[in-house]
Amino acid sequence: MSEFIIETKNLTKKFGATRVVNHVDLKVKKGEIYGFLGPNGAGKTTTIRMLLGLARPSKGSIHMFGKDIRKEKLAILRKVGSLVEYPSYYGHLTARENLEAVRVLLDVPKSRIDEVLSIVRLTKDAKRPVKGFSLGMKQRLGIATALLGNPELLILDEPTNGLDPSGILEMRELIKSMPKEHGITIVVSSHLLSEVDQMATQVGIITKGRIIFQDSIQKLREQASSSIKLTVNDVEAAWKTLLSNGYTTDLVQNNIYIDRGTDDQVAAIVKSLVEHDFSIYRVEEQKKSLEEIFLELTGKEGGLL
Amino acid sequence: MTRIMLSEFIKIKRKLILFLVVLGPLGVVGLQAVNFGLRYDWLTSQYKEDLWGGLIGEVTMLSVPTILIGLTILTSMIANIEHQTNAWKQLLSLPVSKMKVFAGKALLSFVLLFMACLLLVVGTIILGISLKFGANIPILYLLKMCFFPFLAAMPFLALQTWLAISMKNQAIPLTTGILGTIVSMYATGFPDWMPLKWPWLVNEWEKPIYSVLLGIVTGLGINLLSLIDFSRRDVK
Repeated sequence: MSEFIIETKNLTKKFGATRVVNHVDLKVKKGEIYGFLGPNGAGKTTTIRMLLGLARPSKGSIHMFGKDIRKEKLAILRKVGSLVEYPSYYGHLTARENLEAVRVLLDVPKSRIDEVLSIVRLTKDAKRPVKGFSLGMKQRLGIATALLGNPELLILDEPTNGLDPSGILEMRELIKSMPKEHGITIVVSSHLLSEVDQMATQVGIITKGRIIFQDSIQKLREQASSSIKLTVNDVEAAWKTLLSNGYTTDLVQNNIYIDRGTDDQVAAIVKSLVEHDFSIYRVEEQKKSLEEIFLELTGKEGGLL
Repeated sequence: MTRIMLSEFIKIKRKLILFLVVLGPLGVVGLQAVNFGLRYDWLTSQYKEDLWGGLIGEVTMLSVPTILIGLTILTSMIANIEHQTNAWKQLLSLPVSKMKVFAGKALLSFVLLFMACLLLVVGTIILGISLKFGANIPILYLLKMCFFPFLAAMPFLALQTWLAISMKNQAIPLTTGILGTIVSMYATGFPDWMPLKWPWLVNEWEKPIYSVLLGIVTGLGINLLSLIDFSRRDVK
């Protein structure tokens, strides 16, 4: 029995010859909001489909709640609520009827419908046909459907896709409240780092089917932490002097950069420059934004830049 | 399975599916009412030996193509409920087995068509009585002639269910269904092994039950194959 709610090993999915998901080892702990991050087409949705038993892995294993999905799929799915990409709904039915159609399958008490409707604040609109709903409302209905069976794990694929700013904010608050109020573990995928940054406690970054980073959001932020930029009069000479004194620094575009230096190191470097009569114009901290790190990690070839 | 059927019946609300179930038999009986209304004297002299038998025979002539086109539209509409917003992914990530979901859809079509055939029985009786064919109704023969073609058409029900569910583009199942219906109108002269001939209940042994049995066995066979296919397929 492992401590992980989701644990995949060597999870691989091939479409023809291409590996859309390539040896992915996901690890999600209980009570976390796990941000599953990657550019479009990186394999997020395919991974999530495999977690939900909608697609069969070509290779590798999935264990959820300590159970093998190949053997105990239905027992696992009973504890999982999900929302995959665009919301699925029956447009000709009202919100309540939509939930009722799922409720009878889950065999939960009727009162649960009112509970989930109030969680996503759709109680007032429950009697309207869903085809007249806005995208945000449909998405909230999707969340309500996912919550219907009192899940212990909620898997949300791009839940904020296509929502307007207030819808995004609302969805984010809703997601953040879940672990606190209901003790639910959440996996939420997104292609926007800022999204994940504001919700997640753990982050997994996937690109071209491979996991390239998986740790807490703090660790990712630490990577984002500073380098010190020095602007001096004679850059080249200064850099050489530093090198001969045993300080390795980077020379980029007429600036000297100290990567992840401790305060003492920085002080020593500055002191040594002053001693060698260089004029120091500026000593600045350069913070890489998470966006930059994300692009660095995932490579830029996928984007338009 | 009860829960799945309950859910299926919730989903067909307001979809005109139940309307179609009524429209089919109503159309057949209505057309026969016109037929007998216009040519009452001629038809009653043709069938004067057995008025009820004549009426039931005429009804069957129309009911076979109606059943075929009806099941085509019905299976397509039922599958389309899930295709429309790609609700398959939501439905199949619920803790219900894929096999049961598929079986539920197939059973729903069967139940609805069964209801339509039942309505056809009732409609024919009402028509016969209002045409003053007397109270001596050959109930057993009537039941046979209403339900046997439907049971013999099971291979089509199974095939159309499979096509409609496994393809998002409903043009293909609708086309095969409509073509099948048209071809079936000329099928009485086909060899006995042709499934399109079975709903007409004619075979060289002159035993309608053979056509029915062939239909049920083949239908269940196709159902089994499609069930296995559906449960193996990745959900889009």
